[in-house]
Amino acid sequence: MSIVVAEGLSKSYGRILAVDELCLEVDEGSVVGLIGPNGAGKTTTIKMILGLMKPNKGHVKVFGQNPWDNPKVHSQIGVIYEKPLFPPSEKVLDYLERVCRIFDVCESRAMEVLKLVGLEEAWARTIKGLSAGMLQKFAIAHAIIHEPKFVIADEMTSNLDPKARSSLLDLVLRLNKNQKVTFLLSSHILPELSRVCNSAVIINKGRVCASGNLIELYGKFMVRTIRVSTDKPTELAEAVRKLPYMEDVSVGPQGICVRIADQGSETVYEDISRLAREIKAKILGIETGSASLEELYTTLVESGE
Amino acid sequence: MGKCKPFLEILSSSLHGDYKFPILEFLAFLFLLSSFVFTSFGFSSSEVPEEYFVYRMTSSLMGLPLFIFAMLLFKNISSGIGNDLEKGTMQTILAYPLKRRSILTAKLISAFVAATLLFLGMQFSALYILAPDMVAPHLQVVLLTYVAYMSLPLLVASITLLLTLILRKGTLAVVIGLMLFFLFSTLSSLVSLAAYAMDSLLPLQLCSLLVPNIVMDSYYSSLQPMANIFWRPSFSEALLYSGTGYCFTAVILLLSYLYFSRRLNA
Repeated sequence: MSIVVAEGLSKSYGRILAVDELCLEVDEGSVVGLIGPNGAGKTTTIKMILGLMKPNKGHVKVFGQNPWDNPKVHSQIGVIYEKPLFPPSEKVLDYLERVCRIFDVCESRAMEVLKLVGLEEAWARTIKGLSAGMLQKFAIAHAIIHEPKFVIADEMTSNLDPKARSSLLDLVLRLNKNQKVTFLLSSHILPELSRVCNSAVIINKGRVCASGNLIELYGKFMVRTIRVSTDKPTELAEAVRKLPYMEDVSVGPQGICVRIADQGSETVYEDISRLAREIKAKILGIETGSASLEELYTTLVESGE
Repeated sequence: MGKCKPFLEILSSSLHGDYKFPILEFLAFLFLLSSFVFTSFGFSSSEVPEEYFVYRMTSSLMGLPLFIFAMLLFKNISSGIGNDLEKGTMQTILAYPLKRRSILTAKLISAFVAATLLFLGMQFSALYILAPDMVAPHLQVVLLTYVAYMSLPLLVASITLLLTLILRKGTLAVVIGLMLFFLFSTLSSLVSLAAYAMDSLLPLQLCSLLVPNIVMDSYYSSLQPMANIFWRPSFSEALLYSGTGYCFTAVILLLSYLYFSRRLNA
């Protein structure tokens, strides 16, 4: 079952088209990464999913309903904004207790979530007295206080130190595994996303470049890296370079390193072996490099441009 | 209670924000204290009808406090709604499980209703302390005076609210509100002059639609037997003009609600 279904979403600010015919689905229980360069339309997309912004075209459904002015939908969503936005003069615990009352959950939950994000010692501070990292943690506590079924986070780890980032990602994984909370995470820190996400939506210039399961995406779009150890690296590199699907061939001390486009992935081993036989080179070993989300992102965004 | 709880929480949060530092209210109170002395020396009730006397006393107590009331309304719109939109806090509020119209209602109760109650509370206390024997039998006159005088600040505040929602600038709200308030106030004086100069009631009548204290002033002044009054409106006319100002306010508030509920992108 899909928690979010967006079809043909378009939104423009004056003449600037921020989101263009965007289609998106977030399945229940998944952790989806929303990836794209600055100005790709991520925040606008998130705002339309939250019902904070009306699309010019298309429609979005969250839990099967239009999220615009819909308290039923909002009661099931937790939100973490890129810049946490809270009344600065309110005290941390007082504000969270107020949020508990708004969502009709027990007030003791306020301290519970503060402990969960490691902010229990700051309970008596005012919100404006929190550091950027603490404010981010506070925003996370605020987002999960009512135990939402779906959490949307826009750059949620941006102000956190590595330790806090790691524990937050653990929290995401734990909530997803134990409470089946669905996450839509927008971030620029791709290694982190690849740690927690099982699928991704890559957008650029307001359009979806690719979406789906991460493993499938790697297989479908990734430029793969292969290292070949040989006794005649220069000659083999010269021969391999002529293959039509080669992206890049470099010679190193331990052999040659080739980067291939997807269309060659099925025949590459066969072709390299054939070329080695032709120039009478010995192949000492072949090693396939693993793809990263960062490489996937770069490939898709650059190819889109 | 389930649906009321989030509304009451937003309301209490708005009240907390709007009245945290009641400097303006304190100033209004100080002014009222000084008015007691001033007013007690300034009136003689022997030669004028009681209704006229009560009207003059009530309206004379309203000078600076009315301006402070207007300031309070603009400040509340600016800090409670404008700044929330400008700084983005409204995004957080709009993501709560509450209808947009309830959010705006909570904000408006805090900005308008609480300010009005504070203003009226102070004014009534002052009047009762000053002249309890005069006020009690003429409560209707007192109330009508307030209805007429508060119309303009409320109308300007509602225009300010609509502009604030469209422009999303909290700081601009106070400036726009003040400018409009002074514009309308100055306009009413100029129109009165123009009416006398042209020997026509039309400018006065038109201006009374927006600034109904003109018609109320004319009505109560005309109660004096020897008074030389340019315009002598009937009581129902005075009521009608006062009501029109509130109708404008209601229409603008309705437009604000529609914009906030259906159009406002946070």
